[in-house]
Amino acid sequence: MLSVQDLHKSYEIGKDKYEVLKGVSLEVKKGEFVGVMGPSGSGKSTLLNCISCYIPSDSGRIKLGHTDLATLDEARMAHVRNEKLGFVFQDFLLLDGLTIRDNIMLPRIIGGRTDASMERSADMLCDLFGISQIKNKFPADVSGGERQRTAVARALINDPELILADEPTGNLDSKSAQAVIDAFLRAKNELSATIFMVTHDSFAASFCDRVVILKDGDVRKTLVRGGQERRDFQDALLDTIRELSEVREA
Amino acid sequence: MKDRNAVFRALRKSEKNQYTLLSGCLFFASLLITAFCMMMYSPTVQNTLPEGGDSRKQVMMVFVLAVIGCAAFSIYAAGLFFRYKSRGAGVFLALGMSRKVLGQQLRREVVRLTLVSCGTGLVLGTPLCWIIWSVFRLTLVDTPEMILIFDLRAYGIPVVFTAFVLIALLIMQHRFLSRVNVLDIIQESHRAEPVRAVPHWYGWGGILMMVLGGLLGYFTPTFCILVLHWYAPEFLTALFYLPALIGLYWVLLHTVTGGWHRGKNRYRHLIESSMMQFQGRQTVRNMLVVTVLVAGAYFSSFYTPMLITPGKAEITNRPMDCQFFYRADQEMLGKEEIEALAARYGERITDYVEMPSASLAVDGTRHIETQGSMGTTYTREYTETLCEIRFFSVSAWNALTGDSLVLRSGESAATLDRYGDFDTIGLVTNPVTREQLRVRTVDEPLQSDLFHDIRVLSDADYAQITRGLPLDWREIQIVFNTEGDSYDFEKKLFHEIVAHSGTEAARIDGDDRIEREYYIEKGEPYFLEPESPHYAAFPPIDPDKPDASDFRMNWKYMPKFRALDAGDVVSNFAVFLLLFVFVAILCFAAVAVILYTRSQTLILSNLWVYEDLRKLGASNAYLRKTSKEQVKRVFLAPVLIGTLLILCFYTLILMGNGGDGVIDATERTAFASCLILVGILSAVFYGLYRVTVKKAWETLKL
Repeated sequence: MLSVQDLHKSYEIGKDKYEVLKGVSLEVKKGEFVGVMGPSGSGKSTLLNCISCYIPSDSGRIKLGHTDLATLDEARMAHVRNEKLGFVFQDFLLLDGLTIRDNIMLPRIIGGRTDASMERSADMLCDLFGISQIKNKFPADVSGGERQRTAVARALINDPELILADEPTGNLDSKSAQAVIDAFLRAKNELSATIFMVTHDSFAASFCDRVVILKDGDVRKTLVRGGQERRDFQDALLDTIRELSEVREA
Repeated sequence: MKDRNAVFRALRKSEKNQYTLLSGCLFFASLLITAFCMMMYSPTVQNTLPEGGDSRKQVMMVFVLAVIGCAAFSIYAAGLFFRYKSRGAGVFLALGMSRKVLGQQLRREVVRLTLVSCGTGLVLGTPLCWIIWSVFRLTLVDTPEMILIFDLRAYGIPVVFTAFVLIALLIMQHRFLSRVNVLDIIQESHRAEPVRAVPHWYGWGGILMMVLGGLLGYFTPTFCILVLHWYAPEFLTALFYLPALIGLYWVLLHTVTGGWHRGKNRYRHLIESSMMQFQGRQTVRNMLVVTVLVAGAYFSSFYTPMLITPGKAEITNRPMDCQFFYRADQEMLGKEEIEALAARYGERITDYVEMPSASLAVDGTRHIETQGSMGTTYTREYTETLCEIRFFSVSAWNALTGDSLVLRSGESAATLDRYGDFDTIGLVTNPVTREQLRVRTVDEPLQSDLFHDIRVLSDADYAQITRGLPLDWREIQIVFNTEGDSYDFEKKLFHEIVAHSGTEAARIDGDDRIEREYYIEKGEPYFLEPESPHYAAFPPIDPDKPDASDFRMNWKYMPKFRALDAGDVVSNFAVFLLLFVFVAILCFAAVAVILYTRSQTLILSNLWVYEDLRKLGASNAYLRKTSKEQVKRVFLAPVLIGTLLILCFYTLILMGNGGDGVIDATERTAFASCLILVGILSAVFYGLYRVTVKKAWETLKL
C-alpha cells in the first residue's frame, strides 16, 4: 500500500542545516491503522508532510501502490491527493462558509464527480460518524469533536487508498478525542480504510494496529498491538517512549 | 451544492466582509480619483490654473500623493484579501484541486471584483464631482465661470489606475498561488510581519533627521539660487528632503515597537508593543503614507485661509474706500460722472483726490540666465534701465495719502512691494527722452496700505524727469471715500472703468515695457509673447469678461474698491478654492479609510492573542485598554507628525515671506485660522478614532 524508503529531509536556516529525517523507511499495508509517535522534533509531522508531498523530500522514495509520489508533477499529484489520499488535520481545515454536509462533499466537487451518489455517500458518512443532526450547520456552530469527525468523513468521501491524519486529537478534549478515534475505527472496520496517523497522544495511538516510534529523524522502534488489551498496549507505548527519553538524558 | 462554482459562491457569501473591504477600497479609490480628474480636466479648471503655474503644480503634487495613498490602501486591502483567502486555497490544494484550476478561479474573482468595483467608482465619480461642485456653488460661491464642463479625457487616469490595480492584484494572486509549499499557504493567515530589532536611538535620531531634512530641503533651493547662482532642477533639490523621510520612518518604527515606553513604563505597554512588533512592517508603511497624506491634506486645506484671511485684512486696512488709476491717454470717467453715477445708487463721494503719476525706468541688477546641462545658472549684471515703476511727486503723494512727506532734490522714497520687499534705486530714466536723474533712496520705506511698488520724488525732480513724457507713460491716480459703501455702485463703476479703457490698456499686471524693450533688443521673446515658452502660464486679459477671476486678479489697472473686493474676495479665487478643498477632502478621506481598515485588521489578526489573554485572566477593562492603545498607535503618530510637519513648513514659509524672518500681523491671523482648522479636523480624527476603538471592542466582544 504505502512504502517509504530511505527518506531524507533537511531544513536550512541561515548557514545552518538541520537534518530532520535521516533515512526513514516504513511500510503500511492495506486496511492497517498505523500510528507514528515520538517526542517533539522527532520528525513526525515532517514525515507526514513529505508523504503528502506538501513539502518536497531531499531524497528517498515514497510509493503509494505502484505510484512513486515524489516523481509526480503538479497536476498528477493533485489527482492523487483528490482520489487516492484523504487528509485529517489537527485544526480540521473545514471551510467556514460551507455546511458540514458541503464540507464532506468538497473532495468530490473538486474532482468534478457530482453525481447522485455524492449526496448519498455524504449522508451515509454523516450517519456512520453520528453527525447527521448537524449536517446542515456551519463549522462555527458545532463542537471541535464534531468538526474533526466531519474532517474524517470528508477524508473518506472519495474512498481513498490511504488516510493521512496529523494529530487529529491534538485540539480536542478527551470525550471528543474518543469520538474521533471511534470514527477512525469505524472507517477501518466498516469501510476497510487504511489509516496513517501522526500523534503524540498515547491514548489515541493505543487504538492502532502498529505504532512506529520516531526519534531524531529515524525509526527507533515499531510496536505491534497484536492481541494485547488497549491499556496494555498504551502502557507499552509509554514505556518505550520513556525508555527512549532516558537514553537521551543519559 | 453541485459544482465548484456553487462552492465558490457559498465561500464568497461567507467571506463577504473581506470582499466588501477590498471592493470598498477599490471603489472608493476609483471614485475619488475619477471625481478629481473630472474636476481637474474640466475646461473650467484648466483655464483657471495656468499651465506650468505654481497652483497647478501644487494641486498636482497633492493629487499625486492622494493617488499614491489610494494605490497603497488598495494594494494593502488586496494583501489582506489574499491572506484571508489563503486558508481556503490551502484546503482546496490539500484536497486535490490543481493550482491551475484554483488559479483560474481566483483570477476570475479578482478580475470581476476589480472591474466591478473600479468600474462603479468610475461611473459614480462623475456625479460625485458634479454634486461637490454644485454644493460648493450653492453654499459658498457662484461665479459665471464656474460652469462645470466634463471632458472624456478625464477618464484616462482612473482607467490607468484600474489597470494598475488589476495588474497588481493579478501579480499578487500569482505569487500567492505559486508558493511551492501547501502548508505555507494554509498557514499564511497566521503569518506575522516582524520588524527587525530597532536601535533605541531611532526615536530621537529620527526627529533630528526630520528637522535636518526639513531645513536642508527648504533652504537648499534658496542657497543654490543666492549663493551658487544656480536654479537647480527641482528633482535635485527635492533629494535634500530625503533625510526627513528616513527620519520619519525611524520615528514611526520606534513608535510602533513601543520605543518611547522603555524603563518601568515598558511593562504597562508590553502587550500592545509585542503585538505591534509583529504587525510592524505593513503598519509602518501605512503610517508613512498616512503621515504624508495628512501633511498633503492640510497643505490643501490651508490654501483657503491663507488666501482669504490676508486678502480680507488688506481690504479692511485700506485707508480709502476706493482707488484706481488709468493711463492718461484713456477717455476715462471724470469726477462729475463718478459723482453722478454714485448719486444714482444713493451714494455720495467724499475726499475725492485726483493726481498724476508717471511710469519711469529705474536701474537695478539683472539676472542673465544661461541654460546648461545641470539646469539654469545666472550671472548678475547692473543695468541703468531694469524695469518701469510708477512715480508720484511728493505733493501728489501727500495729497493722496494725507502724509506730510518732505523730500530734498535727489532723494527718492519708496513703498514696500507686494511681497513686503524694499529695493533701493540710484538712477531714474525717462523712457522716451532718455534723460536721467541720479537719486538716493531714503532708508525708511513709506508705510502705505493703499499703494505698493510706488516711488516718490521731490516736485522739482518729478517735473524735470517727466518732461517730454507722452501720455501713454503717464497715469491718473484717483482716490475717494463713499458714504454708504455700496457694492452695486462700486461694481457698476468698475464696469464703467473697464468699458472706458481701450485695448492698449488690456495688460496683465507685471507687463513691463522696459523689460519688453530689452528682450526685443536681444532678439528673444518677451514672456508675454506667444513665442515664449512661459506664454501659456499667463492668462489672457479679456475686457469683455470683467467679472472673470483671471481678469480681476491680473489686470494691471484693476481698481481697489472696498465693498466690491470684500464682496468678491471668495469668488475671485473660487475655482482655486474649490480645487484645493476637493484635494483636501480626497486626502482626508484616504487617510480615514487607511486608518480605519489598518486598525480593524490589526485587531482581527490579534484576535487569538486577546483570546489567550482572556484565558490568562485578563479582565475586559484590561483588554479594552490594550486594544485602545493599539488603535491609538496607528492613529496618533502619523496624524500628529503629519500635522506638526505641515505647521513647521508653513511657519518657515511665513517667516520666509518678506525676507525679514518675521511673521507679520496678517500672516499671524491667517495662521490662527489654519490652527482653528487643525483643531476642527483633529476633533474629526478623534471622532474617527473613537468609532474605530468602539468597532474594535465589538470585534473582540468586549
